Amino acid sequence: MNGLSFDPLLPWPLVGAIAVLAVLVMLWSLWRGLRGWFWRGLAGAAAALALAGPALETGMRNMLSDIVILLDDRSASQSLPGRGEQADAAIEELTQQLNALPGTEIRRVTVGDDPDGTLIGTALTRALAAEPQTRIAGIVAVTDGLAHDASALPATAPAPVHVLLTGTPVDWDRRLVIEEAPAYGLIGQPVTIRVRIEDQGAVPPEAAQMPSRLNISVDGQDARSIELPAGVTLDLPVVPEHAGQNVVSIGFDAPEASPPELTDRNNSAAIQIQGVHDRLRVLLVSGEPHPGERTWRNLLKSDANVDLIHFTILRPPDKMDAVPVDELSLIAFPTQELFMERIRDFDLIIFDRYRVRGILLPQYYENIRRYVEEGGAVLVAAGPEMSTVESLNLSPLGAILPVRPTGRIYDEPFLPRLTEDGARHPVTAGLTGAPREGRGDHWGRWLRMSQVIPSPGAQVVMTGANDAPLLILDRVGKGRVALMTSDQVWLWGRGFEGGGPQLELLRRIAHWSMKEPDLEEEALTAEVSGGLTVTITRRTMDRSASPIRITRPDGEVVTLPLAETGPGRFSVRWIAPGPGLYRLTDGKITRVIALGPAAPREFEETVASGAALGPLAEATQGAVLDLSDGIPRLRTVREGRPAHGQGVGGDWIAITPRKAASVSGMTHRPILPPWGWLVLIAGLALAGWLAEGRGWSRRAA
Amino acid sequence: MTRIFLILALILGAAQVWAQEQPDPRLIRAADDVALAYVVTGDPEVDETSEAGLRGISQVLAARTTVEPGEPIGLDLDRDDLSLLTFLYWPVTDGQPSPSPQAYVRLNHFLRSGGMILFDTRDGDIAGLGGPDGAAALKRLAAPLDIPPLAPVPRDHVLTRTFYLLQDFPGRYQGRDIWAEAPPADAAAAEGVPFRSLNDGVSPVVIGGNSWAEAWAMDENGLPMFSVGSSLDGERQREMAYRFGVNLIMYVMTGNYKSDQVHVPALLDRLRQEEAIR
Repeated sequence: MNGLSFDPLLPWPLVGAIAVLAVLVMLWSLWRGLRGWFWRGLAGAAAALALAGPALETGMRNMLSDIVILLDDRSASQSLPGRGEQADAAIEELTQQLNALPGTEIRRVTVGDDPDGTLIGTALTRALAAEPQTRIAGIVAVTDGLAHDASALPATAPAPVHVLLTGTPVDWDRRLVIEEAPAYGLIGQPVTIRVRIEDQGAVPPEAAQMPSRLNISVDGQDARSIELPAGVTLDLPVVPEHAGQNVVSIGFDAPEASPPELTDRNNSAAIQIQGVHDRLRVLLVSGEPHPGERTWRNLLKSDANVDLIHFTILRPPDKMDAVPVDELSLIAFPTQELFMERIRDFDLIIFDRYRVRGILLPQYYENIRRYVEEGGAVLVAAGPEMSTVESLNLSPLGAILPVRPTGRIYDEPFLPRLTEDGARHPVTAGLTGAPREGRGDHWGRWLRMSQVIPSPGAQVVMTGANDAPLLILDRVGKGRVALMTSDQVWLWGRGFEGGGPQLELLRRIAHWSMKEPDLEEEALTAEVSGGLTVTITRRTMDRSASPIRITRPDGEVVTLPLAETGPGRFSVRWIAPGPGLYRLTDGKITRVIALGPAAPREFEETVASGAALGPLAEATQGAVLDLSDGIPRLRTVREGRPAHGQGVGGDWIAITPRKAASVSGMTHRPILPPWGWLVLIAGLALAGWLAEGRGWSRRAA
Repeated sequence: MTRIFLILALILGAAQVWAQEQPDPRLIRAADDVALAYVVTGDPEVDETSEAGLRGISQVLAARTTVEPGEPIGLDLDRDDLSLLTFLYWPVTDGQPSPSPQAYVRLNHFLRSGGMILFDTRDGDIAGLGGPDGAAALKRLAAPLDIPPLAPVPRDHVLTRTFYLLQDFPGRYQGRDIWAEAPPADAAAAEGVPFRSLNDGVSPVVIGGNSWAEAWAMDENGLPMFSVGSSLDGERQREMAYRFGVNLIMYVMTGNYKSDQVHVPALLDRLRQEEAIR
């Protein structure tokens, strides 16, 4: 940074004017034939120059070291056997060689695991941005090349990029690829999962021929297996059986071959399919209009997910008036169609104060009984007719009703209470305002109920007058039956004596009948919060719960005891050691939960490849080399020259020293001191004077 | 505000007391047997007519339908609990005192939780002529109630087909509009209108002036107590009054059941189609 600078003593126009004046004087002298014209012009020019203040400037330069970025991939895929040692050795060797080069600094960048995989592109871009571009002499990446953010890789770099790949040439891997999986499915309707087995790398011939046995299970049960050769796409039908998460786990065992495949962690996958109900269809049959009828309608009509078909017997067959039919608004009940042909389309049939009065044929009741045994649901809200000869219990349906009426009706106010079972049962547990021991709160009273004797297997969850059963739940075959021995739940809705949670209770009874998983008595639930924290809850009607055995993805088994957190609820919080598929069981119920991705992104592909980083290396004249061929030597070359090649001792890679420097200061020195200028100008003027012969020459003349 | 709290406190206190007591046996009967109730106005003649009218319509219901109401109940609004009732007949008289604020709190709760009041101004013969009619008294009595916007019952209201097909709603008098909750201007009811979404959209009040109790009224022998119209036409009008009574009680009990029965054939059609697809 050397140079000339000016620091004029007068403004530039004045200096210019003096210079012009000097030239004019010189020209005038020439015209007049004065012999000293040259000297006089020079003196004028020197005066102008002196006023311009010329000075010499000198910068102070410091040479800067070169920077080499050493990218060290330590993501999970680098932990596959052998790769870690390879990377360690390469990094150590390169560090030594770089340290031996004078004026070279190493910037080491370590790439770890990210939920999105290995982010080499991001790391490299960030490292390049952090350093001055003029000092970067080379980039060396020690990795398996499996970057999951290839789009974030810079297009080029100011210095050669070398990629040293870990792994061996015989690496191979077989993996499971989920091509298509639905996130939602209607319950009972098959959905299709499309899977494929893919081989990568140098597959041993004996393994390539061998199909793998694919094991498929839904929620840890119902295991199936299918032989599937590599490269063939399979459409797998799966039926979501219940609402909520249906975890489909698909996997195959590692093929037997030598060498073995790189990892079996990408041999399985867990697909979570949210089971959703198609619109629920409810058939409500009211035996007579009564004040409670509208509470059923309010409940069912307010649920947008329910298709309600409602029939009320407005006029019994034995009553007639003389009104012509066209003045009546009565519609015949399509009983044959509803109870014989369409019955399986319904999710729930509610009999509301229904009395047997010859409208439904006996075979219809038979059919309803079969419908329940095959998985349907019936809810009976019985009024006093239950204790009469018109009771549903005396119809063929009585065989599946969980009670036997005695014929007695309690016609007195009573307080509905939860039984000990009721406090544990999800249908009644936690209802707001439930009567509690030692507390004054209670629900409003009801005024009438029938006395019944519950059948042996049935659960009595609420009792009324004289502790007689009020709400009884039972399972028949694959179906369910719920029965209330009073029709006065509407009094809660009216707020009589404070009322009670009428809508909530009816909603829960109806949905329990329709097998909503949230209302199952025996349930094992796992709620995942904050990544790996799992709250495991066992809901049971038993007094105790056995410990939970958790099978981890690596096959190890953890046993956790449960603590009672409420009536019929036992739970524990557990932090899983890592993502993967966990199988929970207490001996009776098995659940599979998927934490994080079952096959982490890191293990989707495992065979080392330079495909992602190759273009960048090529663009910068760098090399992609396999470490299994040995660690390359390091050289320096000039910028623009090929930065890799083959030498006597094997491959070499090069860095390009950049000879960067920084300027740390500046000196400013005038060319002549003011007195020097004076002497110069005076000397030139004198010389002109003398040349014109005013000295010796005049004397001589 | 303080007054409302005081009233609430009083009611809660009263509820506490009731919890210990036996409920009124008449009201237990109302809950068990769907007994119809009327408001006692203090005018003996009107009260007797109300009782006879409700007895009459109860008998008609029992004879023709599955609803078999018990004996009607006369109700003192200032004293009696309404939560066990479903239907209240309220004849409007000039002389009747306004119920207490507590009674209005109970009435509003009754309306909100699915009960219904039939206001009868009993002035169908003179109303609209410009003379003195029941409008002023009705306004005085009904003003403190939370009643949604009202409109004349349209021709296609579910009230016209809950049991019988009806075109008008005569009582002892004929031809005047009756009023119920206005149908929503559009599908989305405005914020703060409690009834459209509540109770399946069933109107909490029906207001008219056709003096229905007089048309329904029967003595112990089951004979009509008041003459309606003249000769055979009059008897036809009485029959229509009975039919209105039947439809009204069906509307109270079954709500909009009849209006969504229209959808049942469509629903069954859909089931058939779905089966065909499968």
